[in-house]
This record gives sequence, structure tokens and C-alpha cells, in this order.
Amino acid sequence: MRRKEINERSPVRLLEASIHGGLGAGNIGVVVARHGVGKTAFLVGVALDDLMRGRKVLHVSLEESSERVRSFYDEIFSDLAHERELEDVWRVRLELERNRRIHCYLDGTFSIQKLRDAIYMNRDHGDFHPVAIMLDGFPFADTAEQEIDQLREIARELDAELWMTAVSHREDKTDESGIPAPLAGLVDKIDVILQMAHDTKAVHVSLLKDHDNPDVSDLRLALDPTTMLLRRER
Amino acid sequence: MFSDLSKVRNIGISAHIDSGKTTLTERILFYTQRIREIHDVKGKDGVGATMDSMELERERGITIASAATYCQWDEHHINIIDTPGHVDFTIEVERSLRVLDGAVLVLCAVAGVQSQSLTVDRQMRRYKVPRLAFVNKADRSGANPYRVVEELKDKLKLNAVLMQLPIGLEAEHEGVVDLVEMRALYFEGDNGETIREDEIPEHMREAAEEKRNEIIEAASMFNDELLEAALEDNATPEQIHAGVRRGVLDLGLTPVFVGSAYKNKGVQPLLDAVVRYLPDPTEIENVALDLDDDEREFEVNVDPEQPLIALAFKLDEGRFGQLTYLRIYQGTLKKGDTIFNSRMSRDIRVGRLVRMHADEMEDIESAAAGDIVALFGIDCASGDTFTANRRAVAMSSIHVPEPVIHIAIKAKDRKTEGNVAKALARFVKEDPTFRTRVDEESAETIISGMGELHLDVYIERMKREYNAEVETGQPQVAYREAISRRAEFDYTHKKQTGGSGQYGRVAGYIEPFEAGDFEFVNEIRGGVIPTEFIPAVEKGFRAAMDKGKLIGFPVTGLRVCINDGAAHAVDSSDMAFQAAARGAFVETYSKSKPQILEPIMRVAVEGPGEFQGAFVRSVMQRRGVIVGTTESEGFVRVEADVPLSMMFGYSTDLRSSTQGKAEYTMEFAKYAPVPAEVSEELIKKYRNESDS
Repeated sequence: MRRKEINERSPVRLLEASIHGGLGAGNIGVVVARHGVGKTAFLVGVALDDLMRGRKVLHVSLEESSERVRSFYDEIFSDLAHERELEDVWRVRLELERNRRIHCYLDGTFSIQKLRDAIYMNRDHGDFHPVAIMLDGFPFADTAEQEIDQLREIARELDAELWMTAVSHREDKTDESGIPAPLAGLVDKIDVILQMAHDTKAVHVSLLKDHDNPDVSDLRLALDPTTMLLRRER
Repeated sequence: MFSDLSKVRNIGISAHIDSGKTTLTERILFYTQRIREIHDVKGKDGVGATMDSMELERERGITIASAATYCQWDEHHINIIDTPGHVDFTIEVERSLRVLDGAVLVLCAVAGVQSQSLTVDRQMRRYKVPRLAFVNKADRSGANPYRVVEELKDKLKLNAVLMQLPIGLEAEHEGVVDLVEMRALYFEGDNGETIREDEIPEHMREAAEEKRNEIIEAASMFNDELLEAALEDNATPEQIHAGVRRGVLDLGLTPVFVGSAYKNKGVQPLLDAVVRYLPDPTEIENVALDLDDDEREFEVNVDPEQPLIALAFKLDEGRFGQLTYLRIYQGTLKKGDTIFNSRMSRDIRVGRLVRMHADEMEDIESAAAGDIVALFGIDCASGDTFTANRRAVAMSSIHVPEPVIHIAIKAKDRKTEGNVAKALARFVKEDPTFRTRVDEESAETIISGMGELHLDVYIERMKREYNAEVETGQPQVAYREAISRRAEFDYTHKKQTGGSGQYGRVAGYIEPFEAGDFEFVNEIRGGVIPTEFIPAVEKGFRAAMDKGKLIGFPVTGLRVCINDGAAHAVDSSDMAFQAAARGAFVETYSKSKPQILEPIMRVAVEGPGEFQGAFVRSVMQRRGVIVGTTESEGFVRVEADVPLSMMFGYSTDLRSSTQGKAEYTMEFAKYAPVPAEVSEELIKKYRNESDS
């Protein structure tokens, strides 16, 4: 299969359709789930969709080393290439690597200012203009509203989508629209909220918030827990 | 053989060149032997003092030249493995780190943590080697062990805990305060061999209490019993030792000792610490690779009853002849055994098995898992794995990367030519990533390796160890050529004028082949090319691949398929078909859109956070692709894929742009096509050179 076909048939198209054309530049999307469900794999899946179209993606992790993040990409890409019988794997991989940049802030060294500095340095000195920023491991539990505003400002200035992950816990309460605790107070600040939860067979991705649409559509998307690839749910 | 593995320690002493590693090793050997002598000749004083300089010299020779020395301390057997001090990342260094179970990091009390300590420590971290630190040269002017401890914390990010306080520094350095036992130790006698215990000097009491609490606090993280005792304020020395030991084994704690090897101070307590805190062979997890199962990793079992697995980690050409040092990971090795070299698939008989002592060697009958021994007269390379039952197992991957850089060398004069040859033969055996050949056209000796520094080290070693000085040419990057699309060929080689004729026709196609260097597919039907000529066709293509048509570098990643052809009953021969294949290759190569590939290195630059911008710029300027940036506790690490051809002189540039505060490592990552403008330039240069 050619990469264009892979893009066309990607389950990410389903997500885009459900949220009315995608997250949109300058907007914030958050995927919320318990530990170990596959949030990072989800981000990587969305990022690979962009990368396969030759677009640039910045992946920021507050939890994993860059080697680890890279191996996430490598594994998910290999599975994807294998499953869809991608042509010219070697060249595509090389191009993906050129268009992807990984930033890791370990041991609590992250700050929004640092992220901003790093992004602008990469843009100004490295000619790196990402269409999407994947921010993995952001501590939503102790986040003030204005921090989300600052992040949105970065996304707007860069004209990029910002995807983030949030951890929920078993004992977390949900508000009336089903939004789990770490995001409850921040709903107005976030454009799209997705939730991941697994049963015995797969990890289901459901839509909790879709921009300003009052009726949230029924998303039929899942993550295969063995290959960590996104799929359509029948 | 050791009956009790808990009394075995395999350690390395690792240090910056000027931190006094040799002196410390010497003293360790001296004290460990001295103890034995006192046991032997009880009551006879002054034996140590009569040791003449000749003997000391002899000992020194062993300390420096020997790859593994063996000594005894407090009923423990300590194998001291020489860890090469150079900064480079040769396979040799990695291998010697692999065979260690623990290490002593020696630092100079004046100079502190230097950039080389950073590298050495990172290597140890990579191989998960538990370590102690010894702050040496406390007698030197400007000595400040406290600052060194801070540097261990800041620069190496080690949880460093001072286990002793120096009693006096610089010229006043007399001894140390043992903070666990709360005793002052003075080193007396001509060689510091007599340890006098005393009360802690009054003026140091308070500081000692304070530092002791720091030890307890740090160690109690690793031992619940100690934690409880500490809360009740009655931690015993045994509990503290247990906590520190666990911390060292978990790589969570680095106890720091102080002294001056030269002034014979603090060495014996360091030996106590080696025995007390560093792991025995059973406490370290080692994995081997199953070569019959795609190098699947499995854990070796430190059990003398299991089948043998041993690693040759060092070859030594000493005055005893060729010695091969082995670390036994599993099973037992006996004199007279037949063992299997898994790389060469060859059986070898163990003729003579020895253990190296400080000043002699001892023939032994057998040795078991956990031990380090040497074999005589075995033909093998460093890094080979030996097993029992012809089992295909390797302790380290047998896949060796192709060299990425060449340099031409020439002996300074006729006299040294022999030495150069001897040195090269030796290096090739030691290091599979180091190659040497004589170029057919220029008749120059070409050495190849994994980087500029890698080759520099060997050129330096030729000079130092073999007294062979060489002149070197410009380093050359090992480019490759590869085709990028399928192309057909149909070529007839015909020469029928005079004498015996030559005739051969081959037809088929070539296409890119990603899984390897070369694949030959024979789809000839109906014997249009007789079977006996097929190998000649393959040979012809292979020969043509040695030199690509773009810039004369080898062609890689090629699949050749022949599906048609013709032969002549009289005029066809092997030669004719080889020539036909070569002709077909030349004809079709330019149609297949060939491109130049260059080696890409994975470069990791590391230094204080403020240099992030400088790092990024430095690799971007070199056509680098940034793969990742990691920030952690004030340090930033930028990883990038950079073409090797752009990395020449990088260390100098980096040093000047960061005032020497940053450092980098690089290793081969992959081959990738060069950009169009670089390709044009290389082709132009090659044409000019071939014309002239």
C-alpha cells in the first residue's frame, strides 16, 4: 500500500469525522485514561498520521526518555507498515524521523516557558514548524486555568494542534457530563476530550467533548492492545 | 576453585590518568601481599622495608601490564581487572566493563570530577556497574574532598555519601575518621601498614556526628531495619553497612572514601569497603545471547554445575606469551576440557589454565562460574564466547558493524615497518571493528574503524606500545553506492577475432535489495546459459560491485536476477561469462538511478542546560537531524543523526563553544543517501581524481 492510501484509510479519519473535521490548529485536545491504558500509543498514532503526510510533529514527554519515546514510534510504525504492507518502508521511515522531534523533560524539569523557548529555538534555528504538538504526561491534577491558556497561546502562535494526555484514577469522580476529575474544572479550556478504557478485548476510545457541539457523536474507535494500533470498531 | 562465591569480587579501578590509579593499585597489591607475609613469617618485623626497588619495579610492571590481577583481602578473593583509561568507546573498553561486577572510581582531591570522569561514569551507568568512590591525593596542596563530593552529586548525579572524614588535609593529612564505627584511623609504620585506632579528635566530633547522620539517612532508604533503628537513634554499624551495601547494589548510593595512596593513607579501609559493599558474582545479573534463536537474550546462571559459558575479554601478549583472559559466567572450566568457540565454530582444548597473581601465575586444575582466569596458547579473538557441548551462545552480539572511516598510514621508516605489521595484526584480533588492508592501486596500508577517535587511539597505541610511529593521511569517509530503481540488461560479450574466442550473453534485471548487500537470483529456463557458467555470472556481478561508477565506492543493496542468455558451444567459458556480467552491470547501472550513501552517526551531546541552543545549532550546521532532546536536573542532552563526513573537528568546535563544559559521544547508526548537491560535488571530485 502507498502511504497516501494508508492515510486515507486511517482510523484517524474516523476521529476527524466525529469531531467535525479534526481538532483544528490552535486548539487543545486531551485524551484521558487510567495508567497503562495506552495514552502514549494514542498520541503516537495521531502523530504518525501527520508524519505519514510529510508534516512535522513535536513530541514532548514529561515521563519517558527520548529513547523510550522513539521506540514507541518505531514499534507502532513497524506494525503499521507491516499490517498495511507499506511500500518503500526504509525511505518513509527516514522521512518520518526527519519530521519528528522529541523533547523530554525529566525529573520535574518541565515548565511552559521552557517548552516555549525550545519550540521557538527549533523554529528559528532549525526551521522546524510542527503542525501538531504531542504533550505527554502534563500534570493536570495541579494545573491552573491560566497554564492551559498559555499552552493554547503557543498552539495558536504556531498554528498547530495541541494534543495532551491526562491521567485519571479509579477513585476519581466525574462531573455531570462524564468528564473525569483531573479535567473537570478545565472543560471550558479544552476543545476536544477523549476517554480511553479497556475491556477484555480492546481499548475503546470514546468522545466526551467535541468543540462546542452539544451533541457528542458516538465514536467507534479502538486501540489494539497488542499492536497498539488504532482501529475502527465494528 | 572457590567454594564460596560470596567471597569473590571482580572489580575494576577506574580513573582519570592523573588521579593515581597506578599508585593505588600498587598499594592494594602491596597491602594484600604484605598481610600474607605477616601471616607467613609471624613476628618478624621490617620485612616490608627490606623489599628492594627491583621487586617494586617488577610489581609495577605487573600492575601496569596485567589485564587481571588477583589478590586476597580479609579471606576474600579480589580480581582486579584493568579498565582502559582512554575516553574512546572502543569495543575493548565496553568489554572490560562487562566483566566487572563492581568498580572503584578514583578521583583526585585537587582536580575533582573531570570530563573524563563523566565519560567513565556514564559507561559504568550504561553497564549498571555498582561503584565506590575514592578521593585520592588528600595530601596535595589544594586538596578538598568535600568539594569533590559535591561535584559527584552535581556533575555525575550520584548520590554520593562521605563515609570518612579526612584528619587534616594537604601536608597535615594524617588519617581518616571512620564514620560508621566512629573511630579515628591513623596509618603508621614505614608503609602505613600499621593501623592505629584512636578516639576522634575533639574538634572533629561534631562534624563527624553530623556526617554520620547523613550516612544513616541516605542508607536507611535501602534498609527498613536501619530506618526503624535510625528513628530510635540506635543504628548499629552492621545495620548501616547493610543499608549502604543495598544502596550500592541498587546503584542508588555511592559511598565516598578519602586518603592518599602515595602517602599510604586510607587504602586498607577502601579494601574493606570493596569486600563489604561491592557485589559478589551471584548478585549481578548477566545475560547471554542464544545464536540459534536470533540472539534471544537469556540469563546465565552462576552455577558451577551448569554447562560452561565463558567470555574472552582480553588478549595479553606478556612475557609469558599469548594469554587469553576469560571470565567464566556459568559452569566450570577444567584443564584438559574441550571447549567450543561459538564465533569460529571450533573446538579448543584447554591445555593450561592459570590464575594471575600479583607477581606470579599459578597453574590451576579448574575454575568455576564467577572467576577470572587465563588460558595459554589459544587462538581466538577478544570477545569470543566459549561454551560446553558445542552450544551456540555469545555473551555479546556477534554482529559487527562495517567500518565507516578509513585512513592511510605509512611507517615512518623501514625499521618500524615490522612493528606496524605486528601491531595491526594484534589490534585486528582485539577489536572486530578495526580492519586493515593494503590498497591495490596505491599500495598504501589502510586502516578502518568506527570513527576518527577510534583510529586515533590505535595510532597512539602503535607509538606507545609498539614503538611504531606512522604518518597518516586524511581520514576518508566510507561511502557506499546503491541503485534506487529496477533496470533491465541484455548484454553480449563477444570476442571472436584470432585465437580462442569468447562468447557469453546475459539478460535480466537489477533492483534495490534492502535486506542485505547482495542477492543473486537465477531464473534461467531451459539451460540457455549452461549451469556450470552460472557461478561465473554471479562472480562477475560481485566483482563489478566492488567499485561503483559514481565515486568508486562499493555498491551495496543489490539484487541481480538473470532470466535469459546464450552460450556458444566452443567459445563460452567462465571468463567470458564473468566479462559478460561485468559488462551487463556497467550497461545497466546508470539506468538504475544510482545514488551515494554516507554513514550517519548517532551523536549525543550533553552538557549544562544553558548550552541547548549551542548544541542544536552545532548539529544543524552539520546537516544533522535532531532526534531528541532530554532535559534533566540542569543537564541537557541533544541526540541527532549527523553525517560522519560533517563530524571532523567537532570536538574542537564543541569545546570552544562551550568552554569545555560539554561532551559528546557518537556511534554508527545507518547509511543514508547524501543530498543532491553533496552527491554532485563528490562525483565531480572523483572524476577529477580519476582523470589526473
